[in-house]
Amino acid sequence: MKIFPRRFLFAASLALAVLILSLAPEALEAQAAGPRMRDFWHVFIAYALAWGLLFGWVVAIFRRLGRLTEKLDAG
Amino acid sequence: MSIRMVRWGGLLLGLVGTALTVYFHWQVFFFVPTEASMGIVQRIFYIHVPAAWVGFLAFGIVAICSAMYLWLGEEKLDQAAVSAAEGGILFTTIVLLSGPLWAKLAWGTWWTWEPRLTLTLLLWFIYVGYFMVRSSTENPERGKRFAAVVGIVGALNIPLIHMSVLWFRSLHPQPVVARTDGPQLHPDMLTTLLTALVAWLILFFALFLLRYGTARLEAEIERRLRSSHTRDLPGRGTAAEGALTP
Repeated sequence: MKIFPRRFLFAASLALAVLILSLAPEALEAQAAGPRMRDFWHVFIAYALAWGLLFGWVVAIFRRLGRLTEKLDAG
Repeated sequence: MSIRMVRWGGLLLGLVGTALTVYFHWQVFFFVPTEASMGIVQRIFYIHVPAAWVGFLAFGIVAICSAMYLWLGEEKLDQAAVSAAEGGILFTTIVLLSGPLWAKLAWGTWWTWEPRLTLTLLLWFIYVGYFMVRSSTENPERGKRFAAVVGIVGALNIPLIHMSVLWFRSLHPQPVVARTDGPQLHPDMLTTLLTALVAWLILFFALFLLRYGTARLEAEIERRLRSSHTRDLPGRGTAAEGALTP
């Protein structure tokens, strides 16, 4: 049993091919967008490392300060 | 300046620095235009370059305070030098970590032994050595003096790092901001860079003050412990106590 007539299938295939071909530049761009996601990751890691290090220094200073205050209070 | 004032000054500067940092992040991600050739990864520039400049400034402070410490022998100058050296190491570490993340996409390699990279790594090692030298001697005073010499010698590397792109063949671009004929940068990029620089300078000074306050407190506790120990020693009077107190 034929659900779709042959003409319809041909027209649909043609339309699909036209659609794919028309999207080809975008598809190529999408492929190029792969490394761009990697760019975002590099930026994110660089900023995260910078803030992690700065925050680490803040924590180290305040821990040292807390230890010293305790020592001062005890003495 | 009292320790309390140093601490409050540090906290106040920290708040201003944090506010300015939030603003510069808005600029980096929503305001500044994307660079045409490198794309989004160029945004690492806004932490990489200010971190390098703040690191150089920190090591400059180490050198000045160390030279004055060797000359005047004031304990406070050594404490300031150590505090600045910690900040310098931290900001140079940011430079050495953010640089490869940028280089991998811009140059296609994480690391290359080109002059500026090599000299910056050398600078980092020199100041790591600064801390190692401090703790390597049995007599702490001698360690401080040796470290002061390392602190001065290390800073001589800073002008070399700046000039390396002009004197040697380098993968790093020629300076775009610190030029005799003015900065060659898009005005929005320059504004963002300068905001980031000011934010990190303020944050550096805030943390430097807090670290310096901690070093002063440490010295104060040590002084108290020494004087109480001297008081407890049999046969020791006030003269000995006075001699030990700086």
